[in-house]
Amino acid sequence: MTGDGVRFYGRHFVRSQDRLIRFEQQISPHLRAAYNLARWLTGSHEDAEDVVQEAFLRAFSAFDNLRNDDGKAWLLAIVRNTALTWIKRNRAVLPISALNQEIDDRREPSPDPEQMLLILADGQEIRRALQQLPLEFREVIVLREIEGLAYKEIAAAVGVPLGTVMSRLARGREWLRRIVSGPREGANQTRSKSG
Amino acid sequence: MNCEHLKMYLAAYLDDELDIAESLRLDQHLTECAECRRLQEEHLALRSALRDPGLRYEPSAALANRVASAVRRRAKELSREESSRLDWLRMPSLRWASAATVLVMLSAAVTALILQNVRSSHEQLLASAVLTGHIRSLQPGHLVDVPSSDRHTVKPWFQGKLDFAPPVPDLSELGWVLVGGRLDYLDGRPVAALVYQRRMHNINVFTWPRQGAADKSIQQDDRHGYQILHWNGADMTYWVVSDLNRDELMDFARALRGH
Repeated sequence: MTGDGVRFYGRHFVRSQDRLIRFEQQISPHLRAAYNLARWLTGSHEDAEDVVQEAFLRAFSAFDNLRNDDGKAWLLAIVRNTALTWIKRNRAVLPISALNQEIDDRREPSPDPEQMLLILADGQEIRRALQQLPLEFREVIVLREIEGLAYKEIAAAVGVPLGTVMSRLARGREWLRRIVSGPREGANQTRSKSG
Repeated sequence: MNCEHLKMYLAAYLDDELDIAESLRLDQHLTECAECRRLQEEHLALRSALRDPGLRYEPSAALANRVASAVRRRAKELSREESSRLDWLRMPSLRWASAATVLVMLSAAVTALILQNVRSSHEQLLASAVLTGHIRSLQPGHLVDVPSSDRHTVKPWFQGKLDFAPPVPDLSELGWVLVGGRLDYLDGRPVAALVYQRRMHNINVFTWPRQGAADKSIQQDDRHGYQILHWNGADMTYWVVSDLNRDELMDFARALRGH
């Protein structure tokens, strides 16, 4: 009877071991992407680490639900949801949703392209600009440009239709372009106000 | 293609996510418009700045270890929970009895499931197709091929277009106005689509012949805010779809079925 028990337990043990091995092969390699996304969403190193750990535990519990081979988009969807829950729980005030904010579409004078290139050459400048972007736009740009996800994968990770991915990327980039070209104008305004 | 279009599609164009026809239109516009070319260059510069590896935040080596051991702990917990749930099965006498019972129940359940699933997955697919057909019909100019509230105009219109004569009941006394009919294509065959209206809500009725016993009840499903009803009559199958509320649409289906 003991023998039976052990054998039964053993078989079961093999099954769950097998799940752990598959998880470590399919999901664990995406830790780097998971951390990067969590860091961009939460804005802090400590928070990002906690979010990643929680997301991995959630992912492991839900691993049997993973039906296709796209473990990366699947994991990033979980990281994103974990991060959003985390932000809601830990911040009294959510950043105002940008969904309803419209980019001012009047064609303002474009920045001097050369000047813009100079600004872009400074990695810190573009990082600051991306951090300023509202979350809906920041996440799709991080997934596209830094993680190199296809639109279809972004749609799966963010849980929105393809067309929404396309328009958020377009608006996010346009916004970014304006932030990057903006500081000089902003500086001028401040100066003229104080002067 | 004008500058506004270009602004909308430039991002997808640069990402190679635009279809060929649209890409070509963009190419064309870019050769013609210097201002848009400059916009494209700025976006390209922005993109290469965004792809700088320096923008990626790298996890510490410690994080990988921390996460891996947390997952392993969770794996152990889960495995312990699952095996304790199976504890009672380890008593040999119970195990044979329960194994036999489970086997009998399983085979019955599997048979029932297979039969049901074959039907229901087919119906799930059809329901999606029906909804798509409905939404497509709502685009301007697609609703009806024969616009008429007279069933004696609509019904003969299908002659020679279908190998069956769809029933076109007059429900106007009950407040369901016939708007017209058109041909549609569902379940691998041409079908009749009848359109009725109440208070500006369009109702599509898709119908085509079938064989088999009639259903006792009407199946109901809602997707994306649309109600989908389905039943099999004695020799025709019916799919009804609308954005009307469920109760009213059920009334409609009952009226239609009663005819």
